[in-house]
Amino acid sequence: MTGSRSKSIIIWTFVIASIVILSAPTIVVLGASFTAGNIITFPPEGLSLKWYGTIFGAAGLRQAFLRSLYVATICTAISIPVGTLAAIALTKYKIRFANSIQIYLLLPFTIPLISQGIGMMLFFGEMGLAGQLWPVGVACSVINIPFMIWAVTASASNLNPDLELAAANCGAPPLQTFLYVTLPAVMPGVITGSLLMFILALNEFLVSMLLVDARNVTLPVQIYNNIRSIITPDLAAVSVVFIVSAGIVIALLDRLVGLDIFLKSK
Amino acid sequence: MTLSSVDREPADADPTIAVSVRNVGMRYGDFDAVKDASFDLPKGKFLTILGPSGSGKTTLLRLIAGFGEPTTGEIFINGEPVNAVPAHRRAIGMVFQRLALFPHMTAAQNIAFPLKMRRRDARTIADQVERYLDLVKLGGYGGRRIDALSGGQQQRVAIARALVFEPDLLLLDEPLAALDVKLREEMQLEFRRIQKELGVTTINVTHDQREALVVSDEVIVMNDGVIQQKAQPILAYRKPENAFVANFIGVTNFVHGIVTGVDGGVVAFRSGGKDLRGIAGGSAPQLAEGAQCSAAIRAEQIRIVTGGETPDRFEIVVEGVIADTIFEGERIVYEITVPQLAEASLRVFDHDPAAHTQFQPGARIQLGWNSKDMHVF
Repeated sequence: MTGSRSKSIIIWTFVIASIVILSAPTIVVLGASFTAGNIITFPPEGLSLKWYGTIFGAAGLRQAFLRSLYVATICTAISIPVGTLAAIALTKYKIRFANSIQIYLLLPFTIPLISQGIGMMLFFGEMGLAGQLWPVGVACSVINIPFMIWAVTASASNLNPDLELAAANCGAPPLQTFLYVTLPAVMPGVITGSLLMFILALNEFLVSMLLVDARNVTLPVQIYNNIRSIITPDLAAVSVVFIVSAGIVIALLDRLVGLDIFLKSK
Repeated sequence: MTLSSVDREPADADPTIAVSVRNVGMRYGDFDAVKDASFDLPKGKFLTILGPSGSGKTTLLRLIAGFGEPTTGEIFINGEPVNAVPAHRRAIGMVFQRLALFPHMTAAQNIAFPLKMRRRDARTIADQVERYLDLVKLGGYGGRRIDALSGGQQQRVAIARALVFEPDLLLLDEPLAALDVKLREEMQLEFRRIQKELGVTTINVTHDQREALVVSDEVIVMNDGVIQQKAQPILAYRKPENAFVANFIGVTNFVHGIVTGVDGGVVAFRSGGKDLRGIAGGSAPQLAEGAQCSAAIRAEQIRIVTGGETPDRFEIVVEGVIADTIFEGERIVYEITVPQLAEASLRVFDHDPAAHTQFQPGARIQLGWNSKDMHVF
């Protein structure tokens, strides 16, 4: 009795400590954003929404945010067809170089982002596209596509191979089979993957920094630039907006497909 | 005219034949899943391909459905060679082992799918879906999601989807294997009813010998990729072509021995010092004096000779010892060791255990049978 009691005390101590440590930065930023003072402090000095007012009035931040949305949209639009088809092909067919492709899928964890970013910078520079915004979307898609492929693979590997045969048996030619049967069956993975790609591109800092010029920055780069001059609570407010939008995406994910599918992806 | 085009002509372009399989083989690497299979199936008949798992029965069915092309041979449907015809142009309905209903569609949408692919107009589709929901007794369930239906209801949706476009041929790939016994027996009769009602030619694949005997007009028994016998159920049971068929269908006992003489269709052989006789089994018996043989006899053809009965009723009477007594409800199965027949172990039924005492293991009894019931292979 006492044994199980002390065990549960220990477990709960760990759980609470983990939650506090994990959420501390978020709580600090959240608190600081509501300050009424003029510098970032925690706990905040008084409560106000004035810094939120400031960021919505700040044209620089607003435009940077729109640019981030634009980049994220391009990245997602490229990743959906590429990642979906790649994942279906990887699960369905015995592909040559499957091993090499598996290794490529580990890239995001093995190759430093900075090296990939420099590679992209040289590549787009050579093509005369440096400084433009849309290549950032392409670059984000190239770098993060493994996440898309993982998400769709999780759905596709649960796909009963007889479903496609059944569709053919019902008289569906290959294209119709794909549109009416295969695609809807992997849809949870596609939705998960595209939301993930969207968030990753929205938050992408290093690659944007390397690829765009000073007049054309995305939101994370803009925030970074601002920090370098003066740290004001409006940056905390921007961060909160960021966190909230990520939260909305997660909630959307859970509502649309259920997080369990996402957590099961391999 | 080339040689191969001669080969591709059906042997007899008989308009009453729905499916004709000619020397079909399927090889994966160096494994032959189906070897030189040939048969004709008349229109409107219910054929069951029966065999253990790995016998090639499902491979053969899938070749007929068009999922892959045979390595050798040709398949004809309504007299037309179909090897080069892709599955989606074959007009064959199929019920899959795991049903393969489209999980993101309702029952009605599943059933409508084959019609939609055939570009029927909305009115026709709606009417036809209604009709087939009624046929499989699912009227009113059309709007249900697939996962909101029970196992038996899902079976019915799968049947309706396979039949709704009025195919020439219905294929059943062990769809009943996963059901519990009661539901399975109910669905077997349901398949039979629907098949009779629509008159659609049907090929059913199963490893369940009871199902094969109950539902079919014709049975094909397969083993190791080879067709062992094609016959009406009653003939497959009464006149098995070889020892495999004899063993696979029914409860069969084998007595092993050496042939001592062959006289027309009657074979004399010796097992463990006892001289026995049986009829030569199969259509082309190959038994010579001195050869090893196996004699098959059904459990129900062996009788326990009780006190009141005279052993004269039986041509063969042997002494046995009860090794095990198995109570199965409507009958008792005795495992009996017979020292006279080289310690052969025989299974015998007792359908009326209430009439006399049940024998206990160790009891000595007499067994009798007649030579005409013994098939020698």
